[in-house]
Amino acid sequence: MIMKGKWRFYGIIGLFLLILIIFPFMSNKYWIRILTTIFMYTTLAQATNILMGFAGLVPFGNVVFFGMGAYLTGILMVDFGFSFFPALLFGGVACFVFASIIGYPILKLKGHYFAIATMGVSEAIKQIATNTQITRGGMGFNLPLIPLKIEVAYFFFYFLMFCAMVMVTLASYWISKNRIGYALRAIMSNEEGAKSLGINTAYYKLIAWGISAFFTGIAGGIFAYWYAYIDPPSVFDIGIAVRFIIMLLLGGAGTIIGPFLGAFFIELLTETIWSKFLFLHLGVLGAIIILVVIFMPKGFLWFYRQGFSLSALLENVRKGKL
Amino acid sequence: MLLVQALINGFLVGALYSCVAVGFSLVWGVSNIINLSHGIFVILGAYITFWLFTFFHIDPFLTIPVSAAALFILGFLVQKYLLNYVVGLSQRSGMGVFMSLILTFGLARVLENLMMGIWSGDWRTVTTNYTGLSLMIGGISIPYIRIAVFFIAIISAWLLSIFLNRTRTGMAIRAITFSIDGAQIVGIDLALIFSITFAIGAALAGIAGALVSLIYSFSPFLSTPYLSWAFVIVVIGGLGSIFGAITGGILLGVIESLATVYVGPGYQQAIGFIILVFLLVVRPQGLFGKQFLK
Repeated sequence: MIMKGKWRFYGIIGLFLLILIIFPFMSNKYWIRILTTIFMYTTLAQATNILMGFAGLVPFGNVVFFGMGAYLTGILMVDFGFSFFPALLFGGVACFVFASIIGYPILKLKGHYFAIATMGVSEAIKQIATNTQITRGGMGFNLPLIPLKIEVAYFFFYFLMFCAMVMVTLASYWISKNRIGYALRAIMSNEEGAKSLGINTAYYKLIAWGISAFFTGIAGGIFAYWYAYIDPPSVFDIGIAVRFIIMLLLGGAGTIIGPFLGAFFIELLTETIWSKFLFLHLGVLGAIIILVVIFMPKGFLWFYRQGFSLSALLENVRKGKL
Repeated sequence: MLLVQALINGFLVGALYSCVAVGFSLVWGVSNIINLSHGIFVILGAYITFWLFTFFHIDPFLTIPVSAAALFILGFLVQKYLLNYVVGLSQRSGMGVFMSLILTFGLARVLENLMMGIWSGDWRTVTTNYTGLSLMIGGISIPYIRIAVFFIAIISAWLLSIFLNRTRTGMAIRAITFSIDGAQIVGIDLALIFSITFAIGAALAGIAGALVSLIYSFSPFLSTPYLSWAFVIVVIGGLGSIFGAITGGILLGVIESLATVYVGPGYQQAIGFIILVFLLVVRPQGLFGKQFLK
């Protein structure tokens, strides 16, 4: 019986992936572009999930790795003559290393303070990127255009982001079933307790943040090559970080499917609102955030498990009320 | 001479920084809410002054109470009808702590968008007929407006301190910072006090906004610097400490002003954030230790 449910689950996932693979061949550029964006946000949300969903630490400034990945990929390609894939990989690894270095002091902080420290790092790096020569400062940075026909380029980035999304999901799944995942969940429920059981909490948090940073950097690198122009305000935007944190919360933090649900829902919704009411779309996103936090702080998956009952939503409001 | 000028500029503007930070620090210290819409409250206060000045030609300094009152009401309603529905959660579960953070972020985006929709994204400034005048002392110029802003910022912090130490409501607010459970046992209505605290925080943002409109240009999308000042100052001065916010603000003002002169204007904010991260790691209780609401 359990097997049956499990196989059905695999079947649904397989079908979903198959649809996504076939999709670009029977669709137009507009939708390919939207789907690529959704894959990017799923990757970012899933990468954040590794730290936030399992260990309960909210990396508010995780977008710093997105920007660093983007800039490193660009700089390596333009100034050092790397080709795209080595540059991308190098960017990701550099993010891993950077996260490990700053993570050593910062991951000791708890709760709010960790979130703020990451935000501080992110803003500081943004200001530095705006003012140094190697990033071309506030002028923005031009990457070489991809030497492919436009139609092929669309497919290229679509499948590249798709691969990034699948890889980060596999990594997240592997971690959740692995020693690291158990350690992280122990840290989330009680860090002191986990320490007293002999779990090296600092080490596991560092690993989790490093992996998270690696994939965030990869997504940033692909984004840079895809857009071919980046500047500090757009790739170091705290708004991006908040967006993928919201997606994660909405979908359900700590679950593997949550980021998919959140990213698809929010992106499709903002796309619809954006095309209808240009001025309002950020405001509507803000309103959604407020509603989600009040009514559904544990996300869609939780709502699904409650059988979509409205009384469960009201119960949430009652529990949260002071 | 340049050094003295930079020091004086930083010192005067620093008081404005602290005025932005005091309300933020108070709310964070009392109700454990990090109000990411604080920057947008400042901008709203600036707009209120701007419109009263433009349409009714009221002197910008006289509009300060109006800005403060309007923001007080807004803040009270926000806490009562939005934030009070999540802070209960945040005190019971670890993850819930971030709900207030995310909720206020959403609120900031809504307000920002509304302001842009209604008043457009144009940059505004309040220009009075005494805007350019300054006091000249031996080659150093000190604008009169900045002197006035300095004193108003200090006086509002001083009034807040009197309120917290001399009135029943103020003492109830302080009691919560010592022990939430203890405060509830002696019959303090937590929901009401949280609403009042948030309202006071917003009112201070409104005062700061009125002062900001006199010195800087503003638009709905320029709220981030005010929020980041508040963060840096709270971390320098310590959570919920009024004295810490004032000294932290002036310190930040002076450091930024010196950095502009000697390192380059672009690095001004980066230095603030580097101080923030460094202090968080080395001395998370602030430079002056824990001094709740003194």
